[in-house]
Amino acid sequence: METVFSQYAWLVPVFPLAAFLILTAFGRGMKQSGPLVATLASFAALVLSALILFEHMNGADEYNDSFTWIGIGGFELTAGFDVTNLTALMLIVVSLVAFLVNVYSIGYMKDDERITVFFGYVALFTFSMLGLVLADNLLTLYIFWELVGVCSFLLIGFWYQKPEAKAAAKKAFIVTRVGDVGLLIALLLLFWYMPDHDLSFSAIENVFGQSGLITEGITTLIAILIFVGAVGKSGQFPLHVWLPDAMEGPTPISALIHAATMVAAGVFLVARTFPIFEASQAALDTVAYVGAFTAIFAASIAIAQNDIKRILAYSTVSQLGYMMMAIGLGSVTAGMFHLFTHAFFKALLFLGAGSVIHAVHTQNIHEMGGLGKTMKTTAWTFAIGALALAGIPPLSGFWSKDAILAEALHANPALFAVGIAAALLTALYMSRLFFLVFAGKPKAGGEAHESPAVMTMPLIVLAVLAIFAGFVEMPFAGTGWLGEWLTGHAAEHEGTALVMLVSTAVGLLGIYLGWLIYVKGAIPRDVVTSRAPWLTRLLERKYYIDEIYHAVFTVSLRAIGRALDAFDRHVVGGAVRLAGGAAVWTGRAATRMQSGQVQSYGLYVVIGLVILVAAIAGRRFW
Amino acid sequence: MLSSYLTMAAILFCIGLYGALSKRNAVIVLMSVELMLNAVNLNLVAFSKYGVVPSLDGQIFSLFTISVAAAEVAVGVAILIALFRRRGTANVDEFNEMRR
Amino acid sequence: MGGFYIDWSGELVAFFAFAVVMIVGAVLMLTLTKVVHMVVSLAAVFLGLGGMFVVLEAEFVAFVQVLIYSGAVTILLLFGIMMTDHQAAQHEPTRPVHEIVSAVAAIVLFGILFYAIRTTEFAPSAPPLQAGVDNAMEIGKQLYTQHVIPFELVSVLLTVAFIGAIVIAKKEAE
Repeated sequence: METVFSQYAWLVPVFPLAAFLILTAFGRGMKQSGPLVATLASFAALVLSALILFEHMNGADEYNDSFTWIGIGGFELTAGFDVTNLTALMLIVVSLVAFLVNVYSIGYMKDDERITVFFGYVALFTFSMLGLVLADNLLTLYIFWELVGVCSFLLIGFWYQKPEAKAAAKKAFIVTRVGDVGLLIALLLLFWYMPDHDLSFSAIENVFGQSGLITEGITTLIAILIFVGAVGKSGQFPLHVWLPDAMEGPTPISALIHAATMVAAGVFLVARTFPIFEASQAALDTVAYVGAFTAIFAASIAIAQNDIKRILAYSTVSQLGYMMMAIGLGSVTAGMFHLFTHAFFKALLFLGAGSVIHAVHTQNIHEMGGLGKTMKTTAWTFAIGALALAGIPPLSGFWSKDAILAEALHANPALFAVGIAAALLTALYMSRLFFLVFAGKPKAGGEAHESPAVMTMPLIVLAVLAIFAGFVEMPFAGTGWLGEWLTGHAAEHEGTALVMLVSTAVGLLGIYLGWLIYVKGAIPRDVVTSRAPWLTRLLERKYYIDEIYHAVFTVSLRAIGRALDAFDRHVVGGAVRLAGGAAVWTGRAATRMQSGQVQSYGLYVVIGLVILVAAIAGRRFW
Repeated sequence: MLSSYLTMAAILFCIGLYGALSKRNAVIVLMSVELMLNAVNLNLVAFSKYGVVPSLDGQIFSLFTISVAAAEVAVGVAILIALFRRRGTANVDEFNEMRR
Repeated sequence: MGGFYIDWSGELVAFFAFAVVMIVGAVLMLTLTKVVHMVVSLAAVFLGLGGMFVVLEAEFVAFVQVLIYSGAVTILLLFGIMMTDHQAAQHEPTRPVHEIVSAVAAIVLFGILFYAIRTTEFAPSAPPLQAGVDNAMEIGKQLYTQHVIPFELVSVLLTVAFIGAIVIAKKEAE
């Protein structure tokens, strides 16, 4: 079918880019109108994305357009954009969440001095993320990948007067950089091995689809290196340490970047380069196991945290682990489906948390309570988000988590068990969070009031999506539309009834436990803390991972840095000073030759003459 | 035979050079310079007789150098007297205005 | 002359005699203490040189040498000594480094020159100059025909020199 809107897909990132440029140039005087410009731009991007999506839902073909970026001799590097079903889906996710966050931020950041800078950075980020989604070859994607990292750095450190924010921004950038090195090496390897040095995704699909063109060892290596990049960006173990610290940034961007979009870029990358992973079972296994481990690891930390945003951050890490596990088990559909639903309900949860923080000015859940009475909209939407996250039917999270668990049961039952355990923990920490914040007696002095409409409207929109977005892929026969649309073949559904029952039961169990502990008080709160305080401390201190990294990496790198600095200052600087000193010394010595004594000058003349004659006459000897 | 004369001239020249460079009294320096010029004259005349193209040109040339040397001594002594009158000393190393 | 075979002839004897005189005179000039004695030994060198010119069949040059150098120049130097510092015993502090280095430089220069003289192949005897019986006449002929311009210029030079010397050495008008 002919594509009408897809050829203009390049315009989608351009709208927020234009907003960024305008806000950066004229921002200072645009405190009132700046946010509106940014929101308008993101709305335009949203509209175009929706049109493209509808076009592709009606069966449009894939569209690709590229231009030669660098031509060296006979070799060309192209850059361009690809509009496939997968990228159309991501386009709508990114632009929708970006638009809602823009609207929300008009209210949340209202009193901030640098509000136009904030909207400018958000627009730049939106541009980068949309560019990343649309990139048609790995090099272009890598460029936008780095851009997204930069925007994340800028936004985490937005309140740069706080030293924790500065440190968190640096940490985020450096840790993701570690992952990016892996991606870069994979890129170089691909460049080396791909015929014609073609890095576009269609070429990758062709080459890796046929077995034997590239050896298994290299394929595994490339796949694992790409996964390393995804581990950094998506906060999988062991590079997850930056995500919780990234909560120092304003809450709207925690929702946009660190819940819905940027962290999903890692999952998107693996999905995009899936043919490479498909060709190597070892790589797929690595992805699955790392994902599963991260899921349960982060969930276990989340139940011991006291900062509302930290809990949600670890929850994000855990859910990303689920997505990776899904792809590692071979089902891109399940992974992308969960990404799709997770974007909505996690963004909802973060924006809701922002609403709470805006009202009570604290982030510690033990200082909150009873907000359900005064902040009705927030409470209800938060509840919907929490239920979706916990996987309660018929909300969207249930369907997507189910798809993953079904895949796990079918392919690797051990991972199924891990997934179920993590689901239990998920339900537990979400109910703990919800009950401590919204139920019980008010602690915050009763001054909490509901947020303005500009902040609650996005919450409502996201809540609606959180409820209904799951119906695009249901495991009943004939209703699995997403799978077919994304990957071209329908997902297999085996044993889904069992999975549905078990996951629902586990979710309800978790919620019930939470209710017992935190509302009813039937089980005392310190049931674990008093019996095994070491466990609580271990979880609360995040398994001491940060401390380990500090001791292993930071200390040694700093020592190396100091050693190199000393070397530079004394050896290299010393050599330079020596050269300078030698010149000065020579000059002083020569000065002494200018004594004013004619006979000395005459002597120098004779010596010079002798040397000259000897040199010329002695030429016959060499 | 020629090389003996040339060697003789070289000896005289080097002795004169040493004197010019190391003696303190300006008159002695002048004398050493005269010695060097004489060595040159000997060279010229020796080549005039035993050289590659024997001719009278060497001797004529030496006449000219003798004249110039005489003029130079005259002016040199005059300068020396003038300097002595101003400074009270004839020592070469007292005149060091050409310093850095 | 190569080798150590010496072909004794009258010229060689005369050469050696005058050479001894000159070298002794030159060395004495450097080593005597009183300046006047130094001037006398210099005069001896000039005379020796005059003799050597005669051996070289350059009589006119020898005559001019004796007249000008051991006559006029020596007297001039004596006047110079008289009017500057005729105590002139060199007893001020010495400059050992300078003296040693200049001695070394002079010796090295001599070594180079000696080496050059020994290794150069001079053309095999084109017949040495027959200066003719009347050396002065021949020189005069050359001087006034081929070399007349330098001759005139030298006369100008001499004029300028003596005028200059008078001007410089004059007592300044009080």
